Amino acid sequence: MKITIDREALVQSVQDVMKAVSSRTTIPILTGIKITATSQGVTLTGSDSDISIESFIPTEEEDKVLVEIAETGSIVLQARFFSEIVKKLPEKTIEIEVHPNFLTVIRSGKAEFNLNGLDAEEYPRLPQIEEENVFKIPTDLLKTIIRQTVFAVSTSETRPILTGVNWRIEDEELICTATDSHRLALRKAKIETENHQSHNVVIPGKSLNELSKILDDSNDPVNIVITANQILFKTKRLLFFSRLLDGNYPETSRLIPTDSKTDIIVNAKEFLQAIDRASLLAREGRNNVVKLTTLNDGIIEISSVSPEIGKVTEEIQSESIEGEELKISFSAKYMMDALKALDGTDIKISFTGAMRPFLLRPLHSDSMLQLILPVRTY
Amino acid sequence: MEATRQKYGRVILHVDCNSFFASCEIARDPSLKDRAVVVAGDPKERKGVVLAANYIAKQRFGIYTTMPLWEAKKRCPHLVILKPDFHLYRDISEKVFQFLKTFTPVLEPASIDEGYLDITDCYSGGSPLGIAEQIQKGLLKTLHIPVSIGIAPNKFLAKMASDMKKPLGITVLRKRDVPKILWPLPVQQMHGVGEKTAKKLNDIGIFTIGELAKAEKVILQNLLGVNGVRLKERANGVDPRPVDPEEGRKWKYIGNSTTLSRNVTEERVLLEVLRALAQSVSQRMKQKRVVSSTIQIMIRYSNFQTITRSKTWENPVQEAEEIFQRAVYLLKRHWNGNPIRLLGITAVDVFDKKEAVKQLDLFHFEEDAKKEALWNTIERLQQKFGDGIIQKGVELFRRQKR
Repeated sequence: MKITIDREALVQSVQDVMKAVSSRTTIPILTGIKITATSQGVTLTGSDSDISIESFIPTEEEDKVLVEIAETGSIVLQARFFSEIVKKLPEKTIEIEVHPNFLTVIRSGKAEFNLNGLDAEEYPRLPQIEEENVFKIPTDLLKTIIRQTVFAVSTSETRPILTGVNWRIEDEELICTATDSHRLALRKAKIETENHQSHNVVIPGKSLNELSKILDDSNDPVNIVITANQILFKTKRLLFFSRLLDGNYPETSRLIPTDSKTDIIVNAKEFLQAIDRASLLAREGRNNVVKLTTLNDGIIEISSVSPEIGKVTEEIQSESIEGEELKISFSAKYMMDALKALDGTDIKISFTGAMRPFLLRPLHSDSMLQLILPVRTY
Repeated sequence: MEATRQKYGRVILHVDCNSFFASCEIARDPSLKDRAVVVAGDPKERKGVVLAANYIAKQRFGIYTTMPLWEAKKRCPHLVILKPDFHLYRDISEKVFQFLKTFTPVLEPASIDEGYLDITDCYSGGSPLGIAEQIQKGLLKTLHIPVSIGIAPNKFLAKMASDMKKPLGITVLRKRDVPKILWPLPVQQMHGVGEKTAKKLNDIGIFTIGELAKAEKVILQNLLGVNGVRLKERANGVDPRPVDPEEGRKWKYIGNSTTLSRNVTEERVLLEVLRALAQSVSQRMKQKRVVSSTIQIMIRYSNFQTITRSKTWENPVQEAEEIFQRAVYLLKRHWNGNPIRLLGITAVDVFDKKEAVKQLDLFHFEEDAKKEALWNTIERLQQKFGDGIIQKGVELFRRQKR
């Protein structure tokens, strides 16, 4: 293999595939990046066997030459060194040449690195996915959906299935659910599928976080294919494979309350700022808990007491309070996470009692809901 | 001055609010000042008892705390009877401590209406007597709360001293005064000696503080445990406890361990031992009304290699079964299978149950939600009558047993 490649394009691609490379892996070759040169261009691959990312650099893009292929072939190079080297090379182009015994020479200007490579034949094959039953989601919408749900996944391995986001596709609708059993985030979106497919899968939260980092903010469509144990996200230059989680996602829809005893309408941004202030003291204390009390005339009191530090009280004017009086305590962190996901619009919070889950929803849309379990104080 | 104080050791004040609840009521409504005032359970209820009485009620009519209300009324037909307002008392209590803090940060609130101050290093504030006068006058003038103050070289003597002159007393109690002033007093007047301890002491012929001071250490230890030794020291005017502003807030732990009668490798036996340890740790936690999120186990192998392993969970626990489960979790993870000689369980960083919260769980919240109505009722009762008004039968039983 012998190629001359645009440094900027290479740096970008290396950065993308590095998201999948782990320094801790049981398969030593996966600490490397696989580089494959064909007549169409260069493909870089990184994988930790849960997530695999392929980034493609075409020979030409918009009349600009990105790669010149002198000789096709492939090689695996240590990701840690290779990514640092390409970032620091001086010139606009980089020459990569593989000699016998996988010795690889990387040149740019007068700098020359000799790296010991590994046989690309040893690199595990990526899952082969038939591109049937593809459905499309605009990139920016996909990123929003991920941001609004993935924060709620569990970080504990006690129930591994909860470390993922449940994607259900039915009747041209995607329903994404994440819960760590203390709060739940749910987001719906209309999508177009071929042949009215339906799916019910659980995607690891970590995969979605990494995916979100390497997607741009365009509204170009992302093609998605779901198989029995893999999901593939495909953009113009990227392939992103993730393993799916085994097991059944718990049935959560029946746990979402349908009635309510107290409804509050409030601006999410103002409410978020008040919770943030109230939790200033609480997060230093033993637990990050704030208390919400409904007062007269649509006033909500937010308060928090940390015995060793002090206490804080703030009154907020809501748009309206309807129903029974309420005193409820909850984690300030969960509330802030939910409010951030709701993007600062006017929201409706529906309570059914101090010991029961409550719901936060945008006032004029049913595409999203955030559910939080309160804390019991003694 | 500085040298003198160092020579004589520490200077501790005990500030004790006089008839606190009644004083708060009079501070709110000064027109009650010259009348007999009591705060009582429920004035309409025949079974109500006096929770606090002002000095007019006490001295002129012989009314005392815990006297049945009907009897108080008989003694003083025009008695002013007020319902307790714990919000007011807590509020004024906080203000009292804030005022005391302006003299020294070394302030330890001992209850809602009393606290200790270490003024050893307050050279600039004046003489100890001068500082005590400033405190007494200041509290009376700004908050209308009368206090009695004891001045002494340690907490015990300060507490005894503040009790000697009420209301509005200031009493200095030096260590050298102990034989003359404290020793003739009956032993139950000593702070730390309750009805039961007094009876036990009386049974072995100790009736005065002086007799306690001179009693054999071994006999007291056999009768009352470590507390017996401590009481003897105090009767001699010795009390090394520092004034600790963090008292009751510090990192604390409750633990038990057992040396096994032989080296054990059977898991079944180890689990039995853990269960018993969890029982006793839980029982002690309940006595102190504390909970803990962090459970630690100690394993000593037959070769005396000793390890401790702990884990912090999200929700704090107090029940034996929960402590047991967490200890088992730790044992299964950290026991290397070698013969074990000693096992221990410790609840690390215990804290007041009232500070505890439980994050409810989407899949199990119904268990807590079912009891919500009950808890609401309890909360309303506590707001109205104070935290002690209602508690679990088992807790009450346990306290009575003690």
